[in-house]
Amino acid sequence: MTLAPAHVAGVGMVRFGKYPADVTLEHLAVGAARRALGDAGAPRTAVDGLYVGHVFGGPVAGQRIAARLGIDGLPVSNHENYCASGATALREAWVALAAGLHDVVLVVGVEKMTDRVAGGVRPDPGDLDAAVGYVMAAGHAMSARRYMADHGATREQVAAVAVKNHAHSVHNPYAQYQRPITLEQVLGARPIAEPLGLLDCSPISDGAAAVLLAGPAGLRRLGIDDPVPRVLGVGLVSGSVQSGTGDLNAEEVSRRAGAEAWKLSGVGPEDLDLVEMHDCFTIAEIVRLEGLGLLPHGGGAALTAEGHTTLGGRLPVNPSGGLLSRGHPVGATGAAQVCELTWQLRGVAGGRQVDGARTGLAYCKGGTVNGTDGGSVTTVVMAR
Amino acid sequence: MPCPASPPGDPQHVARPFREGLLSLDPPHLIGARCGACGVTTFPARDVCPSCRAEDAPAPTALSTEGRVHSFTVVRQAPAGTPVPYVLAWIDLPADDVRLMAQVVGPAPEDVVLGLPVTLELVPFGTGDDGVELLGHRFRATQEAPA
Repeated sequence: MTLAPAHVAGVGMVRFGKYPADVTLEHLAVGAARRALGDAGAPRTAVDGLYVGHVFGGPVAGQRIAARLGIDGLPVSNHENYCASGATALREAWVALAAGLHDVVLVVGVEKMTDRVAGGVRPDPGDLDAAVGYVMAAGHAMSARRYMADHGATREQVAAVAVKNHAHSVHNPYAQYQRPITLEQVLGARPIAEPLGLLDCSPISDGAAAVLLAGPAGLRRLGIDDPVPRVLGVGLVSGSVQSGTGDLNAEEVSRRAGAEAWKLSGVGPEDLDLVEMHDCFTIAEIVRLEGLGLLPHGGGAALTAEGHTTLGGRLPVNPSGGLLSRGHPVGATGAAQVCELTWQLRGVAGGRQVDGARTGLAYCKGGTVNGTDGGSVTTVVMAR
Repeated sequence: MPCPASPPGDPQHVARPFREGLLSLDPPHLIGARCGACGVTTFPARDVCPSCRAEDAPAPTALSTEGRVHSFTVVRQAPAGTPVPYVLAWIDLPADDVRLMAQVVGPAPEDVVLGLPVTLELVPFGTGDDGVELLGHRFRATQEAPA
């Protein structure tokens, strides 16, 4: 089954970071949306529908955004899949275009976290893991400790993810942090959930990112004649209930999400020129790339330390700086990844450009559910 | 002795598990479910076997109280209201081939190691809306048997 691709007519972001309380979620979202419309040269009246991904935005955040943006009255839907919310909204928008329901749709991922979340994020209180003290950092810390024990990987190799992604972020004007960090800084940072420290963790952030998608008729409506990057397909899977006492880092859920992406897009893992990977924590980038089959199981940490996934390496991962540096306003991240892929595929990413980028993958993993290997996973495949 | 729930309005209460069907109190053990078709055991108990998806629901079963630490972390930062540090671990119960998440107590956090033998214990888990003490579960580093 292959649906028609969605054409990316325009993208826009506001810089991720910590904004004052009076800079609201609606304000951030409208800022990103206007930039995406401007990027496409599209009037507001060209938009058929709005798809919004957010987690902490409250009821009908999308409709609040639409009213502020001046596209009130249109079909608006809100999509919550925790950290995969923005990409899930994008998937639904892609499906609506492919189904012929709409010709031009706006996708906004947005989050205002710094005035309502502190100390980390945890599952819903109804989840058993939350009841016994689970916080997201703890899950990844246990993943890291087991990964190092099982594969002989070192703490330094895991920390290399943060050093690499921060080095990339120097060239990203939308990143919350745009400065390089050293291995010593990562290793010496305040412990959060051992063995992970502060610089192994993505920050709590505010931000928004927007993507204007169009079908063939939509491109004509917008007067876009030249080829633009395309979303070939968006995979979506959820974690499955685990049994037994097997490999804690098997990442079967990532393998399945990859399989969905390859099936929907017709692209294979060997075709990828770059990956925007959900590095909410350093170790997560490694085990998820391994789960996708893009790095050998158990070998990803060493390859990262050797530069395999650095700009200029065999498979650049997170040229944007990733969540660790760009920031992680959770509902916005999936849309921000698509902005980055779009800039990369247009060849306009400046100092962080992946030479000759033709095909890219964006991966998000959102939330946890007791007893499963994950909440939601999205895989966006794009090509120029 | 089984531990009955308090009748409504009865001020003379006994403690109960913080979630129904999660554990029994006397003797303390976790309640899992074992699939009659394929033999896989899960914790908590589930209505559908995740392994074979048999039509018949897995049957409740008392789980072994003896486990070992498969992985762990020392949580040093958590949202407000959660005292830190504490040790959170993946605990394997070899007798049941079950893995579950729980806190570990006993040694100082820096003395917890992979493979550490641990034993289930009950721990206060707050108070119910009706004033009844709630009990939950954690694991303690296994004590050497007295000579």
